Amino acid sequence: MKIPVEWLKEYIDLDKTPAEIAKSFTTIGLMLDKPIIKYSKGNFSTEVLDLEHRMDRADWLSILGCSRDLAAFEKTTFKMPEIYSGDIKKPSKEQIVDIKVECPDLVNRFNTRTFKKIKVGRSPDWLKNRLESYGISSINNIVDITNYVMVETGQPMHAQDLSKFQKREILIRKAIKGEKITTLLGETIELTEEYFVLTQNGMPIVLGGIVGGKDTAVDEHTAEIVLDAGNYNQVNIRKSSRRAKIQNETVLRYDKFLHPKLTEIAIERATKLILELAGGEVYENVDWYPKETPERIMNLRFARIKTLSGMDIPLKEVESILSALGYVTAGSSKESMSVTVPYFRTDVEVEDDIVADVLRIHDYNNIPTVHLDIAPPKDITPEIYLVEEQLRDICKNLGFHEHITDPLVEPDPKNDKQIKLENAISQEKSALRTEMYTSLAKVAESYTKNKIKTSYLFELGKTYEKQGSGNDFADYNESRVLQVLIGGDELTAKEKAKTTKRVLASIMRDFGITPYAIDVTGDMNIVMHENVVLGEIKYDSFFLYTEALKNAKGIPNRIQSEYKQTKTEDISVVMPKTTPVGPVFWKIKEIDEKIGSITCIPEELDTIIGEKNKNVLFKINYSGDNFAETREKIIVLINSLGMSVRELSSIANDL
Amino acid sequence: MQDDINNIRKMFEKDLETYSKSGDFDELYLKYFSKTHGLVTNLLKKIPSLSAEEKRTFGTSINTIQNELKQAITEAKAAFKTATINDPAIDLSIPEVPLNSGELHPITKTIIEMNKFFRYHGYSIAEGPEIETVEYNFRKLNLPEGHPATDLQDTLFVKEPDILLRTHTSSIESRILSEYEPPLRVIVPGKVYRNETANASNLGFFHQYQGFVVDKGVTIQHLKGILEEFHKFLFGENVVLRFRYKYYPEVSPGMGVDIRCQFCEGAGCTVCRQRGWVEVLGSGMIHYNTLKMCGIDPEEYTGFAFGMGLDRLAMSKFGISDIRKLYSGEMIYV
Ligand SMILES: [Zn+2]
Repeated sequence: MKIPVEWLKEYIDLDKTPAEIAKSFTTIGLMLDKPIIKYSKGNFSTEVLDLEHRMDRADWLSILGCSRDLAAFEKTTFKMPEIYSGDIKKPSKEQIVDIKVECPDLVNRFNTRTFKKIKVGRSPDWLKNRLESYGISSINNIVDITNYVMVETGQPMHAQDLSKFQKREILIRKAIKGEKITTLLGETIELTEEYFVLTQNGMPIVLGGIVGGKDTAVDEHTAEIVLDAGNYNQVNIRKSSRRAKIQNETVLRYDKFLHPKLTEIAIERATKLILELAGGEVYENVDWYPKETPERIMNLRFARIKTLSGMDIPLKEVESILSALGYVTAGSSKESMSVTVPYFRTDVEVEDDIVADVLRIHDYNNIPTVHLDIAPPKDITPEIYLVEEQLRDICKNLGFHEHITDPLVEPDPKNDKQIKLENAISQEKSALRTEMYTSLAKVAESYTKNKIKTSYLFELGKTYEKQGSGNDFADYNESRVLQVLIGGDELTAKEKAKTTKRVLASIMRDFGITPYAIDVTGDMNIVMHENVVLGEIKYDSFFLYTEALKNAKGIPNRIQSEYKQTKTEDISVVMPKTTPVGPVFWKIKEIDEKIGSITCIPEELDTIIGEKNKNVLFKINYSGDNFAETREKIIVLINSLGMSVRELSSIANDL
Repeated sequence: MQDDINNIRKMFEKDLETYSKSGDFDELYLKYFSKTHGLVTNLLKKIPSLSAEEKRTFGTSINTIQNELKQAITEAKAAFKTATINDPAIDLSIPEVPLNSGELHPITKTIIEMNKFFRYHGYSIAEGPEIETVEYNFRKLNLPEGHPATDLQDTLFVKEPDILLRTHTSSIESRILSEYEPPLRVIVPGKVYRNETANASNLGFFHQYQGFVVDKGVTIQHLKGILEEFHKFLFGENVVLRFRYKYYPEVSPGMGVDIRCQFCEGAGCTVCRQRGWVEVLGSGMIHYNTLKMCGIDPEEYTGFAFGMGLDRLAMSKFGISDIRKLYSGEMIYV
């Protein structure tokens, strides 16, 4: 909300600089959002405060509303502007502009008045200056007055030239699909039945609560007008204006919660200004208001102020704050008071909101600062959080850098499981990622560009997938994933594969997950543990589902406090070239507890074993002395797998 | 036998010279003392088959040579080591590159630091879904359909109108409040999404850090208390705070917290966009209706909540000018 200080001072007696005023506004909820603007034109000059508006307070979209709160905070007087108090002429029957409403769910009130013999012309300087310092250009005295009263009171208003009416009637109805309206700015909008319109003789003349049409606009020849102040369904205007992509001062106010009573104040104020600046005569007309909005009376318990603030604010102060804000005491007891909520405070919802009013005018900076001395409750941190912290530490310690990449990606039309967003602003960020390899690989490219030959990278994040129709919340899955990647061209694929496998092995070791296995299906290498998929490995990367990792987590123990005698033996196995070695490795490992570590070295093919076979050397480390039986079991196992043991060499552990 | 001993001794002297050059003393040891084929071991093995007199004559000699040779190896080993340590090629004054170690992301580092503070103060950490229902993201946080305040957070929809990407970490607050019984003391770090065009300060997603406490007797004074300590922890003891009323739908009373600009000390500069103050955090007493909708009696329990964006903080801490760099390869670790 922009506040020209010169205008503000019309309603409040305050001897403070614009900077000091801005400071007070900031404290009570209207933060100065931008530097103070200096506006000047001719002899006129004023500072303009651009205050942040937080959507709840419809009355803070009016200079009056802001002034009232400032006056309460500054403990100074607030005066309402003068309104018309003279006679209003009774119209003849033919003179009445009839108001018909066919969509009472969208219209709460439609308050009108007519004026005759007015003279449309340019506005006086004071009016033009104020409007222009606020940011609205001057058009003519009538349009300027409706705008001025809107900024002053917060109620949008509208004046139309009655000579341009075919029939003295305004009918408000839902728009018909395909119907068109040309706005004051000359833009033509095609309507649907979701909009509502003010019509004249069947033709739309105003897009309800959003923008006026060209056809009945006031111009320099206008002598008779109908002035209206309406109150409409806020949700409809909100949706309609967004659909039509129209944002203006009217919409800004109408999509908040305005009170129907505000139309009365606005009409009286506008009447005074029209008669003063355009002359003419004022006539009563229809005030369509079938269901009056009742006053709200709420109870404020003094104990509640204490419950929320921990303070005892003297009753007198509470009363004076509330009264300055427009609350009226309807009764009180020792424990509580009942107050009538001011009609313009449509934001007040619960008792605590009244407490908030008291505390904010009392000034938050006057609330003491106290440290919580209640014992902390029990820890509910989920284990997965700690698991991921540990994973992050492991990766970091192994020399991998953490990156966070954008989960929003370009959609892949071929991927049914990918979740597409319905209203993303940009196409290239309108879907959720299903994997993290691609984005991390892109990061790796920048390392290469920066002449870092090999990059070791990881990301802990989520991937997202849709199952089924996507109509149910349960159709959407998020998986927590650790993605590890080695980038750059310096290392060969074989070298990368070795490091990738070692990183995976380190994680498994530190998580106490043994055995784990790599299941080879087609060109996929799935990391498994006890029939559960933990992730997938490629030559340069792997990912793990951290939730699965958490479930598979064992108790690693790398501490050896007693001397253990060990012996190493090489067993060379001949097996088909295409057989993956991993499963054989894990089967040997599981034979019995005498088998310690195993190192596995695939050897070069040689002519003796032929084209179809390969030779793999298992360096087996036994604990203890007597391992003949274990060795026998290994040989039986290997033979049972249809493979053969090529040679056996035992090296006695001499040292 | 004596010849054998003498030969071994001669051979050893030669070997010692050779091996002292290569430093491979283990091999030397094995040549003479291996349990299976060591030259001295073989001599020792012969002792039992000697006559009593021979035993007397050679037993001592064999033992002596065993001790002498072993000692010679030990001494040669030590000498070799001393020689390598004093190698003039070792120049400790030439700096070397550090060993490899990984770096954590600035956002992670910021979260870890904050977690440390709040863990110490008895807060648990919570996490939850990023794809969220309207129920937890808005309704339970006191935001009915069509409420003007929904504008404060432009929503990205997965399936309109009910399924969306969470716009704030408060969605986890409403989940925790609905699932657990108070007392509760929780922080929630996480990603949130807004429908914004990407530029230097927006990206469509960013990180928030949320905290909330629900207990008996909690007041806005306690909220001010923890926030004051937290800001001192983040920005140092000399930080100057400003508390002001600020509306957030899920709290009432709501409170905004600013720190005095550390560049201009309040005078106004480009960093604080001439405000003199920098907004850090939004907070307030958890809304009466939010507690009620989450199944907590607001007459028995009160609570406070606070939330802040992490990206700007991390960027200023690590000197990153553009939010897009935080999440792309434009920021690398060297
Ligand atoms: Zn500054």
